[in-house]
Amino acid sequence: MSDFASRLKSLLFGSRDEQLSIPIMDGALKPNNALEEAPILCERRGLEDLAVAADGELYAACGPTIVRVGSDGVLTEVARFERDVTALAACPDGRLAAGLGDAIALDALRRDGPRIDTAAGQRLNAVNAIAAAPAGGLLIADGSTIRPYAQWCYDLLEKGRTGRIVACGADGRARNLAAGMEYAFGVLAEADGQALAAETWRHQLVRVGAGAKAPALANIAGYPARMTRAAGGGFWLTVFAARTQLVEFVLCENDYRRDMMRTVEPRFWVAPALSSGEDFREPLQGGSVKQMGILKPWAPPRSYGLVVRVGDDLIPKFSLHSRVGGRHHGVVAVAERGDELFVLSKGAGRILRLSVRQVSEGILG
Amino acid sequence: MFETLTKYRYKLWPDKVFGELLQKRWMENSVTVIVLVLTVLFFTQRINNFTSLANVSDTLREASELGFVVLGMSMVLIVGGIDLSVGSMFGLCNLIALYCVHVLALPIPVAIILTLLAGAALGAVNGLLVGYMRMRAFLTTMVTLILYKAVFDLLGYRWSVAISSVVPDSDAWDFIGSGSPLGVPTVTWVFAIIAVCGHVFITRLRSGWHVMAVGGNRRSSYNLGLKVNRVIASSYCVSGLFTAISAVFYAARLASPGADTGKGMEIIVLTSAILGGIRLGGGKGSVAKAVLGTTIVFLISNGLLRLAAPAGEGRIILAGILLLAATIDIRWAKNRHKAVEEFYVSPSYLALPPSPPTDLDSGSPYAVNDKLRKVEIIGLGMVESPEDVILDEEDNLYCGSRHGEIIRFFAPDHKRMEVYAHIGGQPLGLAFDGHKNLYACVGGMGLYRVTPERVVEKVTDETNRSMFSVVDDSRLRLADDLDIAPDGRIFFSEATIRYEMHEWPTDALEGRGNGRIICYDPRTKKTTTVLRDLVFPNGIALASDRQSIIFAQSWACCVKRYWFDGPKKGDVETVIDSLPGYPDNINRASDGNYWLALLGMRSPSFDLAMRKPGFRRRMSKQLPGDEWLFPNINTGCVVKINENGEILDALWDLGGQNHPMITSMREHRGYLYIGGISNNRIGRYKLENADPNFVSSSIYHE
Repeated sequence: MSDFASRLKSLLFGSRDEQLSIPIMDGALKPNNALEEAPILCERRGLEDLAVAADGELYAACGPTIVRVGSDGVLTEVARFERDVTALAACPDGRLAAGLGDAIALDALRRDGPRIDTAAGQRLNAVNAIAAAPAGGLLIADGSTIRPYAQWCYDLLEKGRTGRIVACGADGRARNLAAGMEYAFGVLAEADGQALAAETWRHQLVRVGAGAKAPALANIAGYPARMTRAAGGGFWLTVFAARTQLVEFVLCENDYRRDMMRTVEPRFWVAPALSSGEDFREPLQGGSVKQMGILKPWAPPRSYGLVVRVGDDLIPKFSLHSRVGGRHHGVVAVAERGDELFVLSKGAGRILRLSVRQVSEGILG
Repeated sequence: MFETLTKYRYKLWPDKVFGELLQKRWMENSVTVIVLVLTVLFFTQRINNFTSLANVSDTLREASELGFVVLGMSMVLIVGGIDLSVGSMFGLCNLIALYCVHVLALPIPVAIILTLLAGAALGAVNGLLVGYMRMRAFLTTMVTLILYKAVFDLLGYRWSVAISSVVPDSDAWDFIGSGSPLGVPTVTWVFAIIAVCGHVFITRLRSGWHVMAVGGNRRSSYNLGLKVNRVIASSYCVSGLFTAISAVFYAARLASPGADTGKGMEIIVLTSAILGGIRLGGGKGSVAKAVLGTTIVFLISNGLLRLAAPAGEGRIILAGILLLAATIDIRWAKNRHKAVEEFYVSPSYLALPPSPPTDLDSGSPYAVNDKLRKVEIIGLGMVESPEDVILDEEDNLYCGSRHGEIIRFFAPDHKRMEVYAHIGGQPLGLAFDGHKNLYACVGGMGLYRVTPERVVEKVTDETNRSMFSVVDDSRLRLADDLDIAPDGRIFFSEATIRYEMHEWPTDALEGRGNGRIICYDPRTKKTTTVLRDLVFPNGIALASDRQSIIFAQSWACCVKRYWFDGPKKGDVETVIDSLPGYPDNINRASDGNYWLALLGMRSPSFDLAMRKPGFRRRMSKQLPGDEWLFPNINTGCVVKINENGEILDALWDLGGQNHPMITSMREHRGYLYIGGISNNRIGRYKLENADPNFVSSSIYHE
């Protein structure tokens, strides 16, 4: 019935078209092949998050382990957990904090280090990003209180709105900076106790703090994920998939969506993905039909690789892409160390290493 | 439960008929007819004797008078002008007729001729100014409206007393005014005759076509050599003449030189014409439309009068109708093609059986492999879109291209090529007959033949029209694949009768039985449809009993067999009911089995969408084609089947690096040659244990 009502409303007021229109990649988001052509530092299935520790070492979460990433791309296991690590952050005091889905290991490198599994009176469920707060303590993005992190796609198609951002003080006292978000992914500390967070299913960055939530960067052409401070001010924003009109349409089609979730394997859903093109049972869109053996890079992206450099003023400056048909899709983490820029493509299971200077000069000209 | 409802809803309710009806030209008139019926119903309910004989007779008399003026106005509108002066002309002609009959006591025929001449002359002034002097129709006729009205007032002031004081004693004049031969008023008889003549003139005569042409596009007509000025001028002249005819009947009926005669008439006339569906701006209109519009407007104004509505109210209602009709006219003209598009695509319910597994370790006969990865490439970049390939006895390789040609690669190495024949449309399925004629199904054109002397001949491009189809489906739109029976009969599939070749995705989206299998008999040179309502029938191959064909239905993912001769003649049996992909061409293998190409693979999300017609319809309307959910045609394979539907072998190239897509394959002397409609190459695959002397094209013709 609500289906009918919304259809009637859209018929009368034409809001449906608006729902289905998505921003094009233009201006600072003009496509390039910087990510696709980037040198591969290392490759391993299950790579999830990156962090540069206070001593300058690069660590990566990979499956149930934390690994140290050497400059030569060799991965050394430094910690192992009973389940997958879903987030990683470096604290100023040298410790590493690791998200374990429904818990956080506060000193991840120490066996049996302290853990928290409840914050602000609510159990953690899908911790997917952690950031160190300037005054000590942590900022935690808890994506959804219903679906575990691995089932983010369910949360999208169920139109989940249970994400929250938690500020955890150095004294261990925690409070919600924001709750009821349409998925919370990346989080970044800001001045005066506020935080910048990605509200992924609404394709926007929001500024949260003191219970208030205000859009900071709206109408992103993809699904924003984790963020990392950049040296020259501003930050790197990862966008793990690009939006397509078909997905927006399926989100409006409740009947089809419910049946699809009930009867079709999740990897074959009409939904954004971290990687694509591996199985012919994945959905195919008209623009993705190969012509003369070539898949067009402007075809509707089921998966996409995108990192956006956003300035201090919250205006995107430039971006790095891996386009349709490429491999380096599903970018969920970035780390910067001096001139080195590490990009983690979860879709390909690779860490890429680029030069910040070369990239910005190459793209900005 | 809900799905069963959906199934029957789409089975029983003919969605596609609406879209097809909308394409018909007469559809627009039918809307007007419905309005007419509603109007009549409304007033019969409200007014007691609205449809009584006397009332109908009265109504007819007045309506016919109005009809003449509307006819004249329609002529002007069709040419692309407008005549606002009809009211004044009407008044003036009425006065002239009365003056001639009452005061001058001229013989009735002379009086009538004088009045008609006067009307034609008044119209001619408009025609001269608009047609030859190139003045604006609206402004010019408004000026003449005022001018004629002034003359009418002057003459009326001078003549009306004289007119009123005499009552003419003429049976002829009375007959014209109030006679009713056979119960129908005189004026209606005359109107009917003139309307029929007008209809014949507009639709059947050269000068009528000129009128339509000038209205449709003035510049093109001029470039074509039509006398545009003359056509325009004469339309105004005709308008004046018809107004005068109307005025004669009016004068004979009422004998009143009233000062208000014809006042505001142009509004009623314009409303009638536009409500009938005659386009403001020209190029579209007919006598039927004029008659319909007149009837409606007259019934409304007459009905309102009978309901004792104040005169002002009636005017307001008519003005409202005019506004509405003009708006609809403009919006419709602008958006008609969009509306047709909206309604034309009508997805149906198509539930496919579960897809057999294709996983590497599933043990399924379809399990994926990399056998085709080592396929040799022929003619890379030299050919585009070879849907089908075929080889002759001398090992030369033939294929179609999207440039409308049949390409020949020379034996033995197929490195050199030439254009064997230029057909003009894209050749799809190919077959040789016993006399080395190469038959080709050509998309958008039909069945063609290239003789050994390389002469291109049309074999057939139409079949018998279906009994109950709304649109004419006799033309072949997408002939796809063929095979030749031992007696020379050619059986070929037409994938869809609703879409062109490049619109195949839309047909896939519909998933309805839009296709058919057709037989061409060279002995009688007749083409007949043998099977209809098939879901994208594609590949066709003659079966081993020589009495049946095996054919594939792409979107239905099945293979069937049809007997055209023998004891089972007319039967259709299923060979394979559920394939993991969309079958395309079928051809014989040297061991008596069949090669079947799968042009694409099923995906669960698309299969689900096929069970949700509403979802697909909304998708087709709200998303651009590039964003639609498609059947996956980026990956395909070749399978070997037998007549019992068993899968004997599957050849895959999973990454599609070497040979991206497959629509056909042909076995020839130990090799399998592979074509693909979106490829720029032909593949060649060495078969193990295949007959090294097998030539597919000669198997049934020796």
